[in-house]
Amino acid sequence: MRLMRDMVDAFRIALYAMRANKARGTLTTLGIIIGIVAVILTMTAANGLQNTFRQSFSSVGADVIYVSRMPWVIQGDFFLYRNRPQIDLKQADELESRLRGRGIVNPTMDTARDVKYRSETLSGLRIIGTTDKQSMVSSAQPETGRFLTEFDVTYKKNVCVIGTDVRDGLFGSANPLNKSIHIGRARFRVIGVMEKQGGSFLGGPNFDRQIYIPITSYVKAYGGHRGRQGVDVAVKAPSREALEELEFEVMGEMRKIRKLRPAEDDNFSINKLDTLVGAFNNVMGVVLLVGLLVTSISLFVGGVGVMNIMFVSVTERTREIGIRKSIGAKPRSILFQFLFESASICLLGGVIGILVASILTAVINKVLMPASVSFPILFIAVVVSIAVGVVAGLVPAFRGSRLNPIEALRYE
Amino acid sequence: MAHTNGGTIQPETSSALALRDVVKTYDMGTVQVQALRGVSLDIARNEYVSIMGPSGSGKSTLMHVIGCLDVPTSGTYTLEGQMVAEMSENQLAEIRNEQIGFVFQTFNLIPRVSIYQNVELPLVYAGVSRGERRRRTTAAIERVGLADRIKHKPNELSGGQRQRVAIARALVCNPSIILADEPTGNLDSKTGAEIMNILDGLHADGQTIILVTHEDYIAKHALRTVRLMDGMIESDLEAVVS
Ligand SMILES: Nc1ncnc2c1ncn2[C@@H]1O[C@H](COP(=O)(O)OP(=O)(O)O)[C@@H](O)[C@H]1O
Ligand SMILES: [Mg+2]
Repeated sequence: MRLMRDMVDAFRIALYAMRANKARGTLTTLGIIIGIVAVILTMTAANGLQNTFRQSFSSVGADVIYVSRMPWVIQGDFFLYRNRPQIDLKQADELESRLRGRGIVNPTMDTARDVKYRSETLSGLRIIGTTDKQSMVSSAQPETGRFLTEFDVTYKKNVCVIGTDVRDGLFGSANPLNKSIHIGRARFRVIGVMEKQGGSFLGGPNFDRQIYIPITSYVKAYGGHRGRQGVDVAVKAPSREALEELEFEVMGEMRKIRKLRPAEDDNFSINKLDTLVGAFNNVMGVVLLVGLLVTSISLFVGGVGVMNIMFVSVTERTREIGIRKSIGAKPRSILFQFLFESASICLLGGVIGILVASILTAVINKVLMPASVSFPILFIAVVVSIAVGVVAGLVPAFRGSRLNPIEALRYE
Repeated sequence: MAHTNGGTIQPETSSALALRDVVKTYDMGTVQVQALRGVSLDIARNEYVSIMGPSGSGKSTLMHVIGCLDVPTSGTYTLEGQMVAEMSENQLAEIRNEQIGFVFQTFNLIPRVSIYQNVELPLVYAGVSRGERRRRTTAAIERVGLADRIKHKPNELSGGQRQRVAIARALVCNPSIILADEPTGNLDSKTGAEIMNILDGLHADGQTIILVTHEDYIAKHALRTVRLMDGMIESDLEAVVS
C-alpha cells in the first residue's frame, strides 16, 4: 500500500520533470521509436502472414490428403522427381475402389485458358476438371446456383462453376447464371458461383480466379494432353484423427496400383496442409528472427541513449536531489522519481513508435497483405517500452538516490 | 519585541533536542577537518536561538547535525527523545520530513515548478492525502503572505519572496524545529527585516526556531545566542528582553 502510494507520488513528481525536459527527451527517444516500430511491424507481419495463409488455404481441408506426382514443397534434387510417371484417371478410379469407402476420392486436372463472355476476356484463368465430390473434399461452397452433380460428370455436361473474381470480371453486376462463356475453344454454361475465398497468399494460387468443370468434359474439351496429363487425387478422411491412418493406407494402395517392388522408392507424393504449414513456418521463422534482431539492436541503442540522458539528468539535478532529501525524500522516492522519468521518456517513444507503425501498417495493408495492429500487439509495445525505460534508468536512478544530501546541496 | 512567553510551553522546560559532546570530522583524504569538536547543547521547545560565529566555525555543520542531514562522528544527539545516531537513512528522511523545517541562505527552491508545488512537496513525501495537501499548502502560503503568487515559478519572484516560499515549505509539515541558516544573508536589510518578522511571528505561535547569522541586529531577534569558535561553543547567553 505504502509502496503503491510512493509510486503514484513519484509519477506525479516525474511528470513535473518531464514537462521541463520535453525537447531533450524527445530527441533521445529515437532509438526507442525505431525499436517499437520494429516490434510492432514484426508482430503485425507475422500475424498478417498467418491470417493470409489461413484464409488462402481455408478451403484446403486439414482432413484431406492430395496424391500427386510431385510434392508441393520440393526438398533436395528436383531431378529425382522428374522421371516419375503420371497418375492417370484409371489409377484414381482404382484407388477409389480399393479404398472401399474409407475415404472420399476426387481426381482433378487443371490447365490455364483464356475465358470470354461477349466482349470481356480474362486471360490465363485456372480451369479445373473435377467431380461432384469436390464440394465434399473442400469446404468452399457455391454462393449462388449449384455445384457440379454426378449427372454432369457422367454425361460430360459443358457446365461450369466460376469464382467470384471471374464473375466480377466477366459479368460485373449482371446475373451470370445460365450464361454461356467460352473457355478456350469450348462453350460452357455457368451453373453456379463459388463463395469468396479471399485472395492469394503472397503470389500463390488465387482460388477466386478459377473455374470448375466436370473432369470428363475437361478431357473431352482439352484432351488431357492426349491422355498424358496427370491427375491430382484428393482423398478426404472421415475425420482429422483418421488422416494419418488413411495416409498410410493410400500409400500402400498406390504402391500396389503403380506396381512398385518393396525396395523401390515411392514414385508419387502424398501432400497435405501440414506440408504447407511446415514451409510456411520456415518463412515465419525468418520474419521473426529478422524482426527480433532489428528490434533488439534498436532497443539496445535506444536504451543506452536513454541511460545516458538519465545520467545527465541526475547530474544536472544534483542540487534538486539535495533539496528533496532535505525536505524528507527517501532514497526510494528519488529512485522512483528517476525510474518514472526514464520510463516516461521511453513510453513517449513507444507511443510515437505506435503511431508510426500504425501508419506503416496501413500502407502494408494497402499494398502487400491484409494487416492491422491488434490490441495485444499494442499492449506488448507499451510494456516493452516501459521495461526498456526502467532497465535503462536503473543505474542512474540508483546513483541519484544514494547521493549524500549535504554534498548534493553544495553542488554547483 | 513581540513575544508571548508561556501558554504554549510546558511548565518545566521540556527539551526539544540535546547534543552531548558532538564531534564532526570530515575526512578529506590526507587531512581531517574537525568541523565540530565536542559540542553539548540543550534547546527547549519554543526557544528562539541564534547561532553566531566567524566563517568556518562550524555553524552550518551544527545545523546539519541538528537537522539530521548529517550524523555526528561521535557524541550523541537526541531529538524529541529519539537517538538520531542509530537511525537508518529512511528514518532520518522521515525525521527531516516530519520534525525539521529548513530555511537556507540560498532559498533552495526547485526552479522548474510552481510556488504551490514547491510548498506542497514535503506533504507529498509525507504521504498526505490530496485534499489535505491542498488545504495545508494554501494555508502555509497564506501565512507568509504570498497567496497571490501561488502559480508563479521561483524565478518570477524577488529574493525576499523566495525566502518566504522557503519558510512556507519549512512549516507546511508542522515541524518541531525550524532551522534557518543565514536566512537573510542574500537579502537587503529591509527584506531581511520582513523575513525576521515572519520568523518572530512563528515563534510567537509556539514554534522552536534556530537561526544562524553573522549580524548582531538579526541575532537580537532571538532570546538566546550561542557563539561558536573553531567547532566549540564559546558562549551561550540568554538575551535580556528589552
Ligand atoms: N562537506 C565538507 N567536507 C569537508 N569539509 C567541510 C565540509 N563541510 C564543512 N567543512 C569544513 O568544516 C568547517 C566548518 O564549516 P561550516 O560548518 O560550513 O562553517 P560555517 O557555516 O560556520 O561557516 C570548515 O572548515 C569547512 O571547510
Ligand atoms: Mg555556513
